[in-house]
Amino acid sequence: MKDNKEKTLKKMEPSAVESTRDERVYVPETDIYEKEDAILVRCDMPGVAQDQVDIRLDNTELEITGTQGGHVPEGCTLLAGEYETGVFRRKFSIPQLIDRDGIKARLHNGVLDVELPKAEQAKPRKIEITAGG
Amino acid sequence: MYWNDPRAWSPFDELQSLQREMNRLFDGYESRTAMSRFPALNVWGNEENVVVTAELPGLETDDLDISVVNNQLTIKGERKGEKPAEDAVCHRCERDYGKFSRTVRLPYAVENDKVTAAYQNGVLTVTMPRHEATKPKRIEIKTA
Repeated sequence: MKDNKEKTLKKMEPSAVESTRDERVYVPETDIYEKEDAILVRCDMPGVAQDQVDIRLDNTELEITGTQGGHVPEGCTLLAGEYETGVFRRKFSIPQLIDRDGIKARLHNGVLDVELPKAEQAKPRKIEITAGG
Repeated sequence: MYWNDPRAWSPFDELQSLQREMNRLFDGYESRTAMSRFPALNVWGNEENVVVTAELPGLETDDLDISVVNNQLTIKGERKGEKPAEDAVCHRCERDYGKFSRTVRLPYAVENDKVTAAYQNGVLTVTMPRHEATKPKRIEIKTA
């Protein structure tokens, strides 16, 4: 009985969301900038083609996934390897209200730029102080 | 027997010599810059070519300088740290920028003047045809 319980406990071991494919998941190096009217996310994603990028915004969670294409030069074998390829994946929580329809993304030379424009109500507003009489 | 003598053989010496071997394998002579281990390189080969690939996101082809001298490949370049907009404030800055230089010794002699390089999606691929003399040749066995 005890054995069985241990077994089930082992099976239930919690884990993060796993990939169905046997590939490595990397955290892309990222810069995050803020402008007055937008948040800019810039990720290094070398070897990722434009159609291999997936950007999702779920409520306040931004998930960026980029799958690296096969880099094996045709008919070649690896003689000395220092890096491996896989999938870039990263999640960020975005606190501000984002104008979902205005999100823009651009991939250029392995760098992904995502522009998340702030929603109108989240933009800074100057509050006028009226002099009290 | 000498391997029973603790002074004669130590596993740490063995590891250190392995590390030295590895460093020599990947290091060039130009290891003066702090980023000499950057970029990480994969060296590929077949009977015709030696191919070196490197992940170098965010460069322009003008920022790269590739040369092959004396059986050694040197990749130099500079990544510019450009802000996406003038008024942008950086909250999280993880991406490095600056100059880098890396030299590797190639496993075979190559035709220096036939080297080609391509840069796509932030991955640099340098293709170097092997020198005629280093290509494998089938040796016929003559029967008497």
